Amino acid sequence: MSFKIAVIGDKDTTTGMALAGATYAHVHAAKDETLAKLNEFLTSDEIGLIFVTHRVAEELVFEFRQMMRTKRLLPLVLRIPDKTGYVPKVDELQETIKRTVGAEIVVKKDGE
Amino acid sequence: MATALAVSPNRTELMKLRKRLGLAQRGHDLLKEKMDALVIEFFEAFRKIQASRTKALEQLSTAHRALSNCFAVMGTLETVQATRETKRELQIEISSRYLMGISIPAVEFGEVQRNALTRGYSLHMTSSVLDEAAREFERALGLLVELAETEAAAFAIARELEKTKRRVNALEYILIPRLKGALKFIMMRLDEMERENFTRLKRIKAIIEEHR
Repeated sequence: MSFKIAVIGDKDTTTGMALAGATYAHVHAAKDETLAKLNEFLTSDEIGLIFVTHRVAEELVFEFRQMMRTKRLLPLVLRIPDKTGYVPKVDELQETIKRTVGAEIVVKKDGE
Repeated sequence: MATALAVSPNRTELMKLRKRLGLAQRGHDLLKEKMDALVIEFFEAFRKIQASRTKALEQLSTAHRALSNCFAVMGTLETVQATRETKRELQIEISSRYLMGISIPAVEFGEVQRNALTRGYSLHMTSSVLDEAAREFERALGLLVELAETEAAAFAIARELEKTKRRVNALEYILIPRLKGALKFIMMRLDEMERENFTRLKRIKAIIEEHR
């Protein structure tokens, strides 16, 4: 199956991604609007991958997490840093593993 | 902690319980093995993520720098105008593969990189910095798509790991102790009944002897 790519983020990110060929883009302004758009993207059968900037994801915290939990396998959602390179300190994957395995995973470089 | 199951103390029940306990223990062992395998898989995925994440994020920041440059040289409005003219129909192929019974997305994509002619904006209205920005973003997009795939896989594994862990714990700390408790209860009860019977017989024997 072929899928298209969608982006939600600030102006720069959406512009850049649009230049690279992402089909759908939404510039985040108001929370409600972005949520509605995200919902639309998530339920679309056409879209296979959604990029959301960390900043936007953080602004939608609760709803975003809820959506991630209830979404189908597709589309995939990837959080990306925006222009300023902002990445939250807490890695969600790391957190999940800490909760389940009870140990943190530290990957060492080869030769260490 | 483990409250005993409500069972009637007899031999049939005992046999049934033994069977259930055996099954529960076998299930527990299997699930534990599954969990170990999942942890190994997760390690693998995690390592892959770390490698591709740094690469992708670096590329993305390079792309942003190129875009800022483009905004500065061409002007914001013109750049945005150019994106409107750009052909935006990048397609990625997503299928799913199965790993230990979890379906994991597998992403494939053709050539993300295009040349200036196929991008769709008019060449004589735009500057070469726009080409530069577009090229960098295409490169970043390719890396990000890969990252998305591995990250989705890792999340799927983590979710499954959580579920498996829960099941293992439920078996280990709730079901198996309960079954064991019930088994013990029945065994004690049966022994007690046997002792009661023994004394009863002794008593009857004594009474009969008295009457003789």
